[in-house]
Amino acid sequence: MTEIIVVTSGKGGVGKTTTSASVACGLARRGKRVAVVDFDIGLRNLDLIMGCERRVVYDFVNVIQGDCTLKQALIKDKRLETLHVLAASQTRDKEALTAEGVRRVLDELIADGFDYVLCDSPAGIEKGAHLAMYYADRAVVVVNPEVSSVRDSDRILGLLASKTQRAEQGNGGVKEHLLLTRYNPRRVASGEMMSVDDVKEILGLDVIGVVPESPDVLAASNAGVPVILNEDSDASLAYDDAVARLLGEDLPLRFLEEPKRGFFARIFGG
Amino acid sequence: MMTKPVEAGAPAPAIDIRFGQVGLIQVRIRSTDPGAIVDELTGKVASAPLFFQRTGVCLDVSPLERDPQIEEMRAVMEAVRRAGMLPVGLVGGSAAVESLSAALELPVLAPFRPQTQAVPVVQPADRVEAINPALMQHQPVRSGQRVYARCRDLVVTSTVGAGAEAIADGCVHVYGPLRGRALAGARGETSARVFCQEFRAELVSIAGVFRVFETLPPELAGKPVQAWLDGDDLRFAPLAS
Repeated sequence: MTEIIVVTSGKGGVGKTTTSASVACGLARRGKRVAVVDFDIGLRNLDLIMGCERRVVYDFVNVIQGDCTLKQALIKDKRLETLHVLAASQTRDKEALTAEGVRRVLDELIADGFDYVLCDSPAGIEKGAHLAMYYADRAVVVVNPEVSSVRDSDRILGLLASKTQRAEQGNGGVKEHLLLTRYNPRRVASGEMMSVDDVKEILGLDVIGVVPESPDVLAASNAGVPVILNEDSDASLAYDDAVARLLGEDLPLRFLEEPKRGFFARIFGG
Repeated sequence: MMTKPVEAGAPAPAIDIRFGQVGLIQVRIRSTDPGAIVDELTGKVASAPLFFQRTGVCLDVSPLERDPQIEEMRAVMEAVRRAGMLPVGLVGGSAAVESLSAALELPVLAPFRPQTQAVPVVQPADRVEAINPALMQHQPVRSGQRVYARCRDLVVTSTVGAGAEAIADGCVHVYGPLRGRALAGARGETSARVFCQEFRAELVSIAGVFRVFETLPPELAGKPVQAWLDGDDLRFAPLAS
């Protein structure tokens, strides 16, 4: 049974691709067969974050247009053997995606026996974002703790509840999860940033993960290694918790408090 | 406009009967002098030709002191036509109008009744009055979504998000936070109200009278609140809890 999960947000730059890459790795590391698909046609990024940009020969649009087979276009990850990447096309635009084409590719991935297909949505609410969410069974809505991101996520949740196949067929709709990224407990404490509870209350959904703001995320992106694989990082542990919760485990949220500074650090600053 | 596909074999219907309402101008006839009617009406038509030219009008003969003769009425109608309007009916009321209607082949249309005029209520005892049950919305109304309850109340048991719109021809009830917009009496019902459990609205409107909240008044923010129309003023007050 394949589950299709869309990673979406409405707003750009909140961490959709970072989340797609890390959640895909986290699921694959637990032995699941995972395909992660970049829907951001024309602004291909997922392959960079996954570190496979030099191995992209064929892409999603090529498969849709029949220029190659799905097998030829799927890039096998070098670190995790059950993880596959389907890159977006950099030279086309979003008009190259069609509902039937996307359905065909997803059906082929399902027939191939993947456990999870992660759809990395582009920002916005236009065609690319619409098709990324249309066939989803579940949605991970990535949100930063600030008002514009929360507003856009509310908009996306409205679309998930109305403009998806599950919503149209009325079979329970898409299961929605919130994932907070760039969470900075110190700025929350000082009132500069919204808290987890604020976001939860406004959006009326449960939170599947809170990823703390961390320099490791940018470093991981630059290195082409999803941050979840850097096990010294709090962001990695937070993403791993989120993956466990996606799979149904019940874990308490962590990294919601500012780390206590040690005695010496307090005296000497640092 | 969508047309219903016609089943093979069945001929397409030549007509459709629809019930509709149109606005109609009434011309109250105070004199049957055709010359005076042409002069006065021509002046009116010239003042707003787009509005009056070839417009259908309903003739009301009740201001006349005596019931007009058929020939007099024919002359009146001809005068109205010459002025550029088209008589399409008679305002009903008396037996004389009924007989004029038959002779002139013009329909009798129901007279306009001011609200203040007492209307006898005739209601068969066994008739059950039709009610419009409220439109129920149990899911949150998210930013960018619009829920409209036509000819009824709207009940939202969840939240109305910022940038969302809850609209009803009747009242709007929100049993959660109202962060977006609530528009009651969307088609002009001035007795419609807005109720909410937690007031954080961006805009509240009743029958087109609206108020935008750039900052929330502290006595209302976060509280159960109702809004209603008092004349032309939109009023707000916390609901007694």
